[in-house]
Amino acid sequence: MMSVFEAAWVIARRDFVATVYSRSFVLFLIVPLIMFGAIVLTSQVVDERTASQPNVAVVADSATVAALTTARDRLVKATEAHVFPALTPVAPAENVAVQTGQLLADDAGGYSAVFSGTLDRPVLTGPTKVDESVGERMNLIVEDARRVAALEAAGRTAAPARVERVVTDQAAGNLQMIRQDIARGIQGLIFGITVMLATLLLSNLAEEKTNKVIEVLAASVPLDAVFLGKLISMLGISFVGLALWGGVLGLSATLFYQVFQDWITLPQVGPAVGWPVFLLLVLLYYGSNYMLLGALFLGIGAQANNIREIQTMTMPITLLQGGVFFLALTVVGSSNDWLAWAAYIFPFSSPLTMIAYASEHATLWPHLLALAWQALWIVLIIRLSSRLFRMTALKSTTGESFFSFLRKARSGG
Amino acid sequence: MRAGLAIEAQGLVKSFDGKPAVRGIDIAVPEGSIYGILGPNGAGKTTTLRMLLGIIEPDQGKRSLLGHERPLEAAKTVGYLPEERGLYPAMTTREAIAFMGALRGLPLETGRKRAEILLRENGLGAYVDKPIKSLSKGMAQTIQLFGTIVHKPKLIVLDEPFSGLDAINQGRLEHLIRDEAAAGTTVIFSTHVIHHAERLCERIAIIADGQIRFEGLVAEARDRLRPQVRLRTRNQDGAWRRALPADADLERGFWLFELPPGGIEPLLKALIEGGAGIEELSIERRGLHDAFVAIAGEQAAREMERAVLGEAA
Repeated sequence: MMSVFEAAWVIARRDFVATVYSRSFVLFLIVPLIMFGAIVLTSQVVDERTASQPNVAVVADSATVAALTTARDRLVKATEAHVFPALTPVAPAENVAVQTGQLLADDAGGYSAVFSGTLDRPVLTGPTKVDESVGERMNLIVEDARRVAALEAAGRTAAPARVERVVTDQAAGNLQMIRQDIARGIQGLIFGITVMLATLLLSNLAEEKTNKVIEVLAASVPLDAVFLGKLISMLGISFVGLALWGGVLGLSATLFYQVFQDWITLPQVGPAVGWPVFLLLVLLYYGSNYMLLGALFLGIGAQANNIREIQTMTMPITLLQGGVFFLALTVVGSSNDWLAWAAYIFPFSSPLTMIAYASEHATLWPHLLALAWQALWIVLIIRLSSRLFRMTALKSTTGESFFSFLRKARSGG
Repeated sequence: MRAGLAIEAQGLVKSFDGKPAVRGIDIAVPEGSIYGILGPNGAGKTTTLRMLLGIIEPDQGKRSLLGHERPLEAAKTVGYLPEERGLYPAMTTREAIAFMGALRGLPLETGRKRAEILLRENGLGAYVDKPIKSLSKGMAQTIQLFGTIVHKPKLIVLDEPFSGLDAINQGRLEHLIRDEAAAGTTVIFSTHVIHHAERLCERIAIIADGQIRFEGLVAEARDRLRPQVRLRTRNQDGAWRRALPADADLERGFWLFELPPGGIEPLLKALIEGGAGIEELSIERRGLHDAFVAIAGEQAAREMERAVLGEAA
């Protein structure tokens, strides 16, 4: 008899070649890149839109307008342009109240509010909604303008404060923040890729069940090998995808950096274990996370008899993945409380949590322990899935449906 | 397991959803023989083969395949053609055959070479690089059969191998089975077509309702019935009629009856002395079909015929 690994290799090789040489694989490779590009472009448009600040018509004399505009420019320097509303001077008409109404109704002007009056008696007219976004900020502008005006009246000028900078390599708080950001970023990346690929495994055995090849496979090799082979092939396929996507994105990032390096500051710190070890751990934990969820999905999907059943299963499984991801995100930065320990130990959240640990802590031995623990669960899930498949789909032992099998198992029957 | 047996099973029992499919089957397949499992659809043939191969586990009973109690341990030396044929439609014929060999431990490159030889030797050389989905059903079945033997197994298990094949391909398959057996390979196949078993097998098992009704040599099955006498006489009546058994039938001018226990000589004497005027007399050994009817019953035989007619339609 061939060993499980030899047999798994035969299955994996067939699946890998069949998938990689299929037309749909080209789509599989291209679509995420197109989606990524679309997301980047969309986010820029969204940024621009959200960055467009409200417009306030300033109906006041020229001195007031000048004082307000200068104050706004000063405040914007310390923050960002979109934080404060744009000010558009409008010459006052005879009846300011009527003019204010007209300005608020003017579609072309697009004013969110109208400022009128003086610095001493300012009036902001507009709907309640603008109070938070415009009202508070207009208060700051007016306060600054008043302060400058008061100093000028006293014959003094407001000299801008200059805080002396002493540059250090790092600050603990900052370092932790960066490492937590790295951890969350990598967690998100692993989660996203796993969601995209692992759900494919739900329908992976459907082909064999539909075209009856499963009978030939089951008579030739252990079912564990069929499950393991399918997982390995999908992992290999995902690495092909990652290599291509990573290559394209890496090349784009390098080109971008070459062009804009004068304006870009790369962080000087990295994960606690150092970049090389961290990248190796990212690959290992990605593989582990993928195999864990993949084995579960493959096992559950193998119970489905048709596409509709597979679709029904997709939603709760995606929710499970989401739950695990949020658990792992939650414990970033709190590596010793009970929730963190639960996340380290629960097999499905362990890889994501441990990669965060690698970003925040330099100790390496827990990773060996975690990887061994996760490998044990991969083996357990594969064995359980293959047995369940043999019992239900191949009708080997009980010849009953998955659900009646579960009912009996619960009642101990 | 007894020496000289490729397969031995004792008391195999299997139920699905509480319904018994196989009820205590004993089988002994000698090494190098061609062995047929005969029975109508639903008799338990496929379930028996699947249990023998370890695809499903029996609820009770023991089985041994080429000396292994765990059938998968013998997988490298076994070839299996399931009843429901299964191939990956996008694979080329060569890759499909090589893949099936690889599942049985044959290196892929060797499998590819042997696949090419098998295809060319059987006049299918033009299809080496054609995908399975472009083949006819019968041709795809032939490809799967090649995949079953590409690794040169010691035991070949074929579940309804003739089903879906036209007469030419059925002939080819019979030829292939004989060749494999001549080379020392044990072949076991299930069928509901009696004449395939009659032409090919040395030993058979007749299954009906999940039970073995007969297990042994084909000749033994046929010998369960006494030979049939066909008699045509010049005279239609006379004292000689008393020599015929009471259940003798007259069909198209021939008297048909079982050879009496006393043999042919007393009968002949009575016919001659009684003035029958013998025009034609023959003693025919009974066919497997008659033996099957006698062993499994009329209903099982009718079900077999219906299955054959259904296939032909």
